[in-house]
Amino acid sequence: MRQFKRVAAAALFGSLGVAMAGLPAIVPAARAQAPAPAASGLLAQGEYVARASDCVACHTAPGGTPFAGGLPFALPMGTIYAPNITPDAQTGIGKYTEAEFARAVREGVRRDGASLYPAMPFPSYARMTDADIHALYVYFMQGVKPVANTVKASTIPWPLSMRWPLIGWRMMFAPSVKDAQAKSARSFADPVLARGAYLVEGPGHCGACHSPRAITMQEVALTSADGTRFLAGGGSVDGWIPTSLRGENRTGLGRWSEDDIVEFLKAGRIRRGSAFGGMSDAVGHGTQHLTDEDLHAIARYLKALPPDDTTQTPWTYDATLATALHAGDVSARGARTYVDSCAACHRTDGQGYPTVFPPLGGNPVVMDKTPDSLIHIVLTGDILRATHDAPSAFVMPGFAGRLSDEKVADVVSFIRKAWGNNAAPVTAQDVARVRKSLPKEEGEAPLPLN
Amino acid sequence: MQGLAGAAALTSTTLPVHAARSAGESAYSPTFFTPAEWAFLHAACDRLIPQDAVGPGAIALGVPEFIDRQMATPYAFGKLWYMQAPFVQGPANLGYQLPYAPRDIYRKGIAGAATFVQAKYGKAFGDLDAATRDEILSGFEKGDTLFGDLPAKIFFAQLLGNTMEGAFSDPSHGGNKGLGGWTTIGFPGARADFMDWVDQYGKQYPLGTVAISGETA
Repeated sequence: MRQFKRVAAAALFGSLGVAMAGLPAIVPAARAQAPAPAASGLLAQGEYVARASDCVACHTAPGGTPFAGGLPFALPMGTIYAPNITPDAQTGIGKYTEAEFARAVREGVRRDGASLYPAMPFPSYARMTDADIHALYVYFMQGVKPVANTVKASTIPWPLSMRWPLIGWRMMFAPSVKDAQAKSARSFADPVLARGAYLVEGPGHCGACHSPRAITMQEVALTSADGTRFLAGGGSVDGWIPTSLRGENRTGLGRWSEDDIVEFLKAGRIRRGSAFGGMSDAVGHGTQHLTDEDLHAIARYLKALPPDDTTQTPWTYDATLATALHAGDVSARGARTYVDSCAACHRTDGQGYPTVFPPLGGNPVVMDKTPDSLIHIVLTGDILRATHDAPSAFVMPGFAGRLSDEKVADVVSFIRKAWGNNAAPVTAQDVARVRKSLPKEEGEAPLPLN
Repeated sequence: MQGLAGAAALTSTTLPVHAARSAGESAYSPTFFTPAEWAFLHAACDRLIPQDAVGPGAIALGVPEFIDRQMATPYAFGKLWYMQAPFVQGPANLGYQLPYAPRDIYRKGIAGAATFVQAKYGKAFGDLDAATRDEILSGFEKGDTLFGDLPAKIFFAQLLGNTMEGAFSDPSHGGNKGLGGWTTIGFPGARADFMDWVDQYGKQYPLGTVAISGETA
């Protein structure tokens, strides 16, 4: 969940003109009552909900103690830091009552009444059940060790540091808990689908990345009942483009089976592709820890989402360019670069060596309308992380130091049109734009050392 | 190793003589070799892999630059070898037993060779014609000449080994300039993928060579 840059900026600037209902009353600091020790079943349930909600992703600094906060979010107007959510009374959430905790998670309101930045996906968490919130609260209060860690103060200068404009954003775009839960309770023929909907739309907050956002940065659809834009592919997150999770044949999950999705969320790698970019974290912290039942529920629910883009012709493998490469014909644009730099792992037939090196032919990421993810991974490389079910990690080297913008454009264009893929070519300007947007250490990657 | 040197030396007698410093005196300035050593190195490398119809020579390939850069590596200081005393000479099958790291071998070897050549020919090695230089190097390779306690054979083997490394290693190390070494021998370079070719028997491999940096030829 690192949509923060855009979310916060829009919330701060965009909602200034919204009529305010008034500043929130400061809630008296009611002390949490000393809790009775929870049953281990409840703690385990709470930990499970925390995994499903991927709290750790944002509330942990790189290399830091889980949940102790400190992950920086660099915004144009300053840097803010994710709060410490361990139960430390002074620096964490130790003083939160369950009601205050529930209000923070589901409504985006801090214990002192201030609004949370919408980096916190409370519009999705709003639909979490009281039972899950209870378990989550018990887990954080009793299952997580308090860590005294004062997170650095935001460097956003006044007046931009004022949080009251966020109230307007919340009022306009975040559903009330009542509405959200009512919507989640809509009827599904299959209880498995209902469970999937809850996990995806609620704690899983998949739409935070995978749904498009409006100019004011709210997700244009928060549930599958809100239309086909839901999970139809989101905007850039740390330079990666989240794909559609709907039924598009080429750019979505149209050709993935329910079992494919389950295995992908569990192992991070299947014969059709491997997790990279932001999805590595989501699999690593979150989905690999879910039960098979819940993963099937998620998968079945996603498979029930019809395509948003209904114009796509079905992908079928086309061997033309593979045959040319096999014969040593590298006359196609980008073909020589592909053979020199990519084919050792992804093969001239574009089928890779799944589940070690993913296929490029028919891979939804490759055919996405926006080529940024493909350009990004060519420039920086990435790590296919170890998961419980697939404990080996594989590294793709970055080619930023080896290939010019023109050569990256050539090879990405080749990949996007070979083996039955039909995505538009890219230009050197596209590559230069992506290269420029990368953090410096990523953009200046050394020669591949694989 | 010595076979190749022999072949190179043999070929060179039948081909036009190239002046030692005509091709490769580039902008590179050595950090290990003195000017006199640098001149010797050029004149010697030029005969080990001469420029000819087969391909570029050691000078055009940047071999002296490669060796000079190599002299700054742990290898050149003997740090990859066991270098504790006692240094007892044993039978050949026990390998190299001298107390000298590659840097020492070059220092002593070039000085010894220069003295040897000056005494015998009254000239610097680099001022001799190609045929004479070949004759001298062949003598070092096969004979029993000693440079103090360093056999000329050892010095020659060191020089030949590093010359070949310079000619045929990745260009990022300073040699194999323009991928000329790899192109000469038809080595496809750092592509690391030949799965398409394992069952295409007898077919000429058509693709040019590629360096780790992505440079192609």
